[in-house]
Amino acid sequence: MTADPLLEIRDVSKQFGATKALSSVSLSLYPGEVHALLGENGAGKSTLIKIMTGIYQPDSGEILLQGRLISLHNSAQAQKHGIAAIYQEPLVFPDLNIAENIFISHQRRNPLVRWGKLYRDAEKVLAQLGVALDVRALARGLPLAAQQTVEIAKAISMDVRVLIMDEPTASLSIHEVKQLFGLVRNLRKAGVAILFISHRLDEVFEIADRVTVFRDGQFISTAPVAEVTPEQAIRDMVGREIGDIFVKEPSPRGGVVLSVKDLTREPRFHHINFELHAGEVLGLAGLVGAGRTDVALALFGIAPAQHGHITYLGKEVHLHSPKQATRMGMVYVPEDRRQHGLVLPMSLMANISLPSVKNYRNQLGMVQRGKEVTTAEQYRQQLSIRTSSLSMPAGKLSGGNQQKVVLSKWLNTKPHLLILDEPTRGIDVGAKQEVHRLINQLAQQGMAILMISSDLPEVLAMSDRILVMREGQQMGIFERREATQEIIMAAAIGQTLNMAESAVAHA
Amino acid sequence: MHRIRRWVPLQRLREFSLVIILIIVVLIFGNQIDNYYTPRTFNRISSTVALITLVAVGQTMVVLTRNVDLSVGSIVGFTAYYVGRYVSKNEDMAPLMLAVLAMGIGAGMGLINGLLVAYGRIPAIVVTLGTMAIYRGVLVEYSDSKSVATRQLPDWIKELPQESILKFGEYELRALPAIALVAVIVFFFLLLYTSLGRRLYAIGSSPEAANLAGIRAPRMVTLAFTMCGAMAGLGGMLYLARFGTITVDAARGMELQVVAAVVVGGVNILGGSGTVIGAMLGAILIGTIEQSLIRMNINEFWKDALLGLCIIIAVTVDRILINQLTPWWSRTELQRMPEEPHAAV
Repeated sequence: MTADPLLEIRDVSKQFGATKALSSVSLSLYPGEVHALLGENGAGKSTLIKIMTGIYQPDSGEILLQGRLISLHNSAQAQKHGIAAIYQEPLVFPDLNIAENIFISHQRRNPLVRWGKLYRDAEKVLAQLGVALDVRALARGLPLAAQQTVEIAKAISMDVRVLIMDEPTASLSIHEVKQLFGLVRNLRKAGVAILFISHRLDEVFEIADRVTVFRDGQFISTAPVAEVTPEQAIRDMVGREIGDIFVKEPSPRGGVVLSVKDLTREPRFHHINFELHAGEVLGLAGLVGAGRTDVALALFGIAPAQHGHITYLGKEVHLHSPKQATRMGMVYVPEDRRQHGLVLPMSLMANISLPSVKNYRNQLGMVQRGKEVTTAEQYRQQLSIRTSSLSMPAGKLSGGNQQKVVLSKWLNTKPHLLILDEPTRGIDVGAKQEVHRLINQLAQQGMAILMISSDLPEVLAMSDRILVMREGQQMGIFERREATQEIIMAAAIGQTLNMAESAVAHA
Repeated sequence: MHRIRRWVPLQRLREFSLVIILIIVVLIFGNQIDNYYTPRTFNRISSTVALITLVAVGQTMVVLTRNVDLSVGSIVGFTAYYVGRYVSKNEDMAPLMLAVLAMGIGAGMGLINGLLVAYGRIPAIVVTLGTMAIYRGVLVEYSDSKSVATRQLPDWIKELPQESILKFGEYELRALPAIALVAVIVFFFLLLYTSLGRRLYAIGSSPEAANLAGIRAPRMVTLAFTMCGAMAGLGGMLYLARFGTITVDAARGMELQVVAAVVVGGVNILGGSGTVIGAMLGAILIGTIEQSLIRMNINEFWKDALLGLCIIIAVTVDRILINQLTPWWSRTELQRMPEEPHAAV
């Protein structure tokens, strides 16, 4: 690593609205190195990739290629500089064949397509990779690993110098990962700088030369892989300040509301087992894609499980539709409230009474506005929803207030079981505290709550117990008093390690 | 079997099935209508088909990019009228120059559509629904509600539809279908052998991937609309040649036939796949059904209803067939992928 860096990122910052996605991060990539980038969900990895590929422009900071300042205004420019990215979900053209997919960016140079040459060249590039694919086949219907191979071939055909791989292994089998690593090693030998992003620490330690950790949009550390231990990396990734988070007060644990045995829906999740009591908050932790939301969707009947038993209020149930689940007193508050939680152009008031609108009808079947107003007003005060009027369209409210409206809407159906999916994502600190206080109140009233959250301090503060999932598997259930951020994160990324010991060792 | 799957793309299979459907339809009509298999029937159907095909070829460009152009009927109507008025005043105008004029007017109208869709970010269906009415309105204003009459036209244009290019016994290939055929061949080449054509497919197939690949989609979309307008303009001139009398109502509703031809021809309305050969076959099917129903003296309204039914059946059958076949037809595995790639990059 005596050479000069190929690509240097200096003090790059990026802000979206009120959230700082990246604050003054730096990173350098050397030719022929595999540089791993680690970080929790929301650490700023994706934002950095988008800046490096010209999709986003940084608010401040500079990017240097071989010591020369470059500016990237679109992906075509990034490609011209030899910077390419491969994503977890490959972005191929399904209606074009493999050869065309590989050479799509070359087309501007030759206005006529010579199919014979195109096929031969494509076969050549794939042969360089040690892969044989039918280059005449459409990309539609190709297995994911093959699609990724096509993307890598595309990058190579463009004389890539910096290759960004964003969780390329997330949906690959062990065998396919091995093949991919073979390709990566070949690229490294050829002097390509590779930025490798993965949540699987064992992979990172297998393939990477250096490791950089981001947390909450900030640069934390960079070190050669030999000088880092998995424990240290995890500590760098988490270690978020607990700060002002509202801590759940213990509430009396009631009877079992929900009991799940061996719940399986391949390939999303398998053999999930837990019990949820009245008055309890069960946190569901894990990384994005671990299958947490899929479990929630199965419980709510949207995407039913294939195997396993769900016992609800003492009876075994088979849930096949959300309507059925709602009728039995379950409520699911989805992560994307704008798309799934609210009818944005409708008034706040109408949104609140929507699921229980039957209770607002008079004999003629018309909705009684007065009754609606009373209910909405009651929730506005109880949840301190800040709005100038109850007839304000829900889409005009701030994220935090929208979330409160979603909660009001479902609370008004008086549920027994509340499933929350990332209840505080993207809302400001103040509103977050209010949502937490509300969750606490509901638990104390005897509601059973299943809370999916990627925010570790939130999970630790709000849950009585925490179930950790990783790639569809249940990694364990932890009592709140025995759980730490490190333990949860280690389970979420599949590291079996004794954090207590390592903590002593580094003390 | 693998060999067939490899060398025959699904699209060819789709077109082949259209040919079979067409044969069945012709056999049914031949059975129902006396003197069906005559040169007269053929000429009649082929003139109708030629007009639909010409405009459908342009429409295919637009549909490939996940858009649609509903204003083509109005563009055909306007150019037919404008060119008719123009040529009646300038009788010695060369035919080729007249065609350039017609295509230029159409291209201008298409360019407006394209700019509004690509740079104004307004959905194509909204833009072209609007311009469909506006272009028709411009025609009404320009024509002062008067018609172009056949007698005002120079002889060459009146005789153009009867002009015979090739003869096979009693059957002949007349000028209109010949022009349409040339257009199909040109655009077939354009879509298959130019990078411009491939980029149109790419945009419709995956806009996100196109953006990442550095394809300037707005430019391509504008170009597609402009080409579509130009073809509709040429269609307008041939419409004039075929009918002679042009009122402000000319080619009204033609956009539906054209979109139907494109969709029946297997061009995916969601963009990314389809060929002009398919669009032509779709136009032949629709033209045949329409003209044959007219021959059967079926009430105008029932004719449209039957046509609509045929479209729905054709598309449904196509969808079912394709959905069943696609996963099987396009299956391809990583062959000979070694444990560890060895060759150096």
